[in-house]
Amino acid sequence: MNLRMTGISKSFGANLVLDDVSFFLGSGEIVALLGENGAGKSTLMNILGGVLPADSGSIEIDGSAVSFSSPRESLDAGIAFIHQELNLINDLAIYENLFIGREIRSKWGILDKKTMIGRTEEIFSQMGISLDPEAMVRTLDASYKQIVEISRAMLMDARIVIMDEPTTSLTETEIDRVFSFMRSLKAAGVGIIFISHKLNEVMEICDSYTVLRDGHMVSSGSIGSVTADMLAKMMVGHDVIEEKRASHACGDIVLSASGLSDGRNFSDISFSVRSGEVVGFTGLLGDGRSELFLSVFGAGTQHTGTIEIDGKPVSINNPWEAIEHGIGYVPRNRKENGIVKDLDIIENGSLVTMKSRKKGIALDIRRIEEDFRKEQADLSIKMGAETDPITSLSGGNQQKVVLAKWLSAGPEILILDNPTQGVDVGAKEEIYAIISRLADEGVSVIVLSSEAHEIVRTSSRCYVMYHGRILTELEGDDLNEHEIMRWATGAAI
Amino acid sequence: MEDTKKGFNFVEWFRKMWTEHPLFSTACALLLMAVLQTIALGFDQASFGDWLSKYLRNWINILRNNATIGIIALGMTFVIITGGIDLAVGSTLVAIGAIIMLFFDGAPPGILAARGITGAPASIIGTPPGRLAGIILGEFTGVLITVGRIPPFIATLGMMKICRSVTQQCMQTINPSVPMPFTKIANLAIGRQMFMPIIYWLIIAFIMYWVSKHTAFGRHVFAVGSNERASKLSGINVNRVKRMVYAIMGLLVGVASVLQVSRIGAMDFANAGSGYEMDAIAAVIVGGTSMSGGRGSIGGTVLGVLIIAVMNNLLNLIGVPPFLREAFKGVIVIGAVLLQKKEKN
Repeated sequence: MNLRMTGISKSFGANLVLDDVSFFLGSGEIVALLGENGAGKSTLMNILGGVLPADSGSIEIDGSAVSFSSPRESLDAGIAFIHQELNLINDLAIYENLFIGREIRSKWGILDKKTMIGRTEEIFSQMGISLDPEAMVRTLDASYKQIVEISRAMLMDARIVIMDEPTTSLTETEIDRVFSFMRSLKAAGVGIIFISHKLNEVMEICDSYTVLRDGHMVSSGSIGSVTADMLAKMMVGHDVIEEKRASHACGDIVLSASGLSDGRNFSDISFSVRSGEVVGFTGLLGDGRSELFLSVFGAGTQHTGTIEIDGKPVSINNPWEAIEHGIGYVPRNRKENGIVKDLDIIENGSLVTMKSRKKGIALDIRRIEEDFRKEQADLSIKMGAETDPITSLSGGNQQKVVLAKWLSAGPEILILDNPTQGVDVGAKEEIYAIISRLADEGVSVIVLSSEAHEIVRTSSRCYVMYHGRILTELEGDDLNEHEIMRWATGAAI
Repeated sequence: MEDTKKGFNFVEWFRKMWTEHPLFSTACALLLMAVLQTIALGFDQASFGDWLSKYLRNWINILRNNATIGIIALGMTFVIITGGIDLAVGSTLVAIGAIIMLFFDGAPPGILAARGITGAPASIIGTPPGRLAGIILGEFTGVLITVGRIPPFIATLGMMKICRSVTQQCMQTINPSVPMPFTKIANLAIGRQMFMPIIYWLIIAFIMYWVSKHTAFGRHVFAVGSNERASKLSGINVNRVKRMVYAIMGLLVGVASVLQVSRIGAMDFANAGSGYEMDAIAAVIVGGTSMSGGRGSIGGTVLGVLIIAVMNNLLNLIGVPPFLREAFKGVIVIGAVLLQKKEKN
């Protein structure tokens, strides 16, 4: 089955996210769909999957025009979208998951278990998978779960499979397993669209590629004609004129770690941060940087290895010990981890220091107000009354309140995980300025981000992580978007 | 247009309060019920003075009869704001009651008497062990929930069964009489009326209100209930807050138990306190506290206890059969939450 998308355009309001994009997939072909975050990959695939309508352009399958107004119609046409978050029910058996919603019943309306198990075995043997159809999905590892989900698509006669970053949370052996499954699909004539940032994997498994950038199709062709380096360059594109943080003198090493491993998310991590330095940590989704610093902060997994603060080894088992050692931590996903929605603005802004602002046993309200007003002025938080709900603020101002909560504790080391997530452009710039100012004041700032330009913008040095390990350390002229992309995507290995 | 600028627009004010303050409708209902109750009580008295004293006596009775539930509901408010629940309060009340009694001189095992300590004032020797036992039981529940990671519903359901059953077994043959001085704790007459339980309730309500608003612990209770993860990442010792909340619950049950034993002068270990957990939870919910945690108030809980109490009194006055009264309680709970929910969105 051939798929041809021609001249696809799509805009959200005034924002043109896809501009005259064309895409081709032959039967039994694996195409890599590449591009940075926001390049338009998901929008294109959502149009193909019937989630979004295109503004203009056409989709043809085997030469005849089709249009999908719902995911159901797309699925009926043989296109299966395998999302990153798998849609499996852990507490049901594999065959039950395969037939969920379309169970085969005998004439009395009773489930025909035997036939369903038989069909499941049939599909597994075609694909060379040895799984017990009656095993619980819970017992499977992530790679087998993906295989089960794709098998379900096969059961529905899917001829085109869209895989959205399937290897993000897999280990090396699991990736090999998924790849060999993909090869069986290919041999059976199924076309696969492989969305991934990991260019070494793309080089290994794909036949051809299509690169999107800012809604345009930049390039497409056969994988044999390009190198991973070339792909990385195409994704970043223009020679970015990067605004860099002016370098300035840093002090002594404040925080250093050596040989940190938690046996699952990260291993053998060593790094150091000086006072007044901004150090970036970047990589793809699932590289383990968030888990690493959550663990350093005492709120994540237990780790082995040593952490030293001001040259003295420390053991941090929970967040309040981390705070006592002068560490502050602004987590990712503000809504889940950052704000407390039932508390008002000033309470959110003083949650960290509240314990120590007391007069007798009562809260020292005046002191708390003084602290908060100082931070409010420093961070220029735009808000109504201090007792308004935190949810009345914009994303950027909520993030500043979360920052205020930590700054009022006067941290020596501040860890910021995705600090500009869900904030508008203006607030982003303000947050960059705040990071810069904090460093000038001597705070050691650690910025975790998957956006290369954010790292270049804020940091004077950066570590690139891949699959739970630090691959390299970039500094000076090497600290640019191309180089980060080359290492983060694994193109450099 | 001119008219609205002048003077006070009652309709507008009422609508604004009704939509903006979740508890306003509950307060209105309480007011309405108090008026109905006043009417039901009748005005057929010789003089205004007679009527007033009858009226006040009725109110003092309402408050005194509900002081125990009122005190327990205060602790329950904190528990529910952290997102938990305590089903064990009725049973721990009985267990603590038994422990208090073991300290009296007349009790066969007579813990103190056996060691030759006699004659100590009962009010002094009974009260601290009761409170201490409450704190210990509460702390133990808290440890089960935090360290043992057992959901509060299950941990307290277990404690509920254990406490009552063990108490009944141990107290089969023991039924010490409560010494006179001990009964004075609750029955001390001030101006011919026994106010003590009411005074306890009001003082504790005030302390709990103050703690909830003006201490770091109080604010942490709300933070933990609203977003446990964000609270933990802000350096709040979430487990400690939860343990404290259950320990305070235990302490208040201890206080309630002392009052109960003192007021009645005995304890029926099989039936005393049964259903208290549900009555307390009902009052907390009617008072606008969210079962999912993070939102609620001590003032609301006092209001919740009062509205249920006044309704009971009203139903009694107008002669509704006792079996039906529980049904009205159910109606109040559902009705209050319906009204409050409508206003939030």
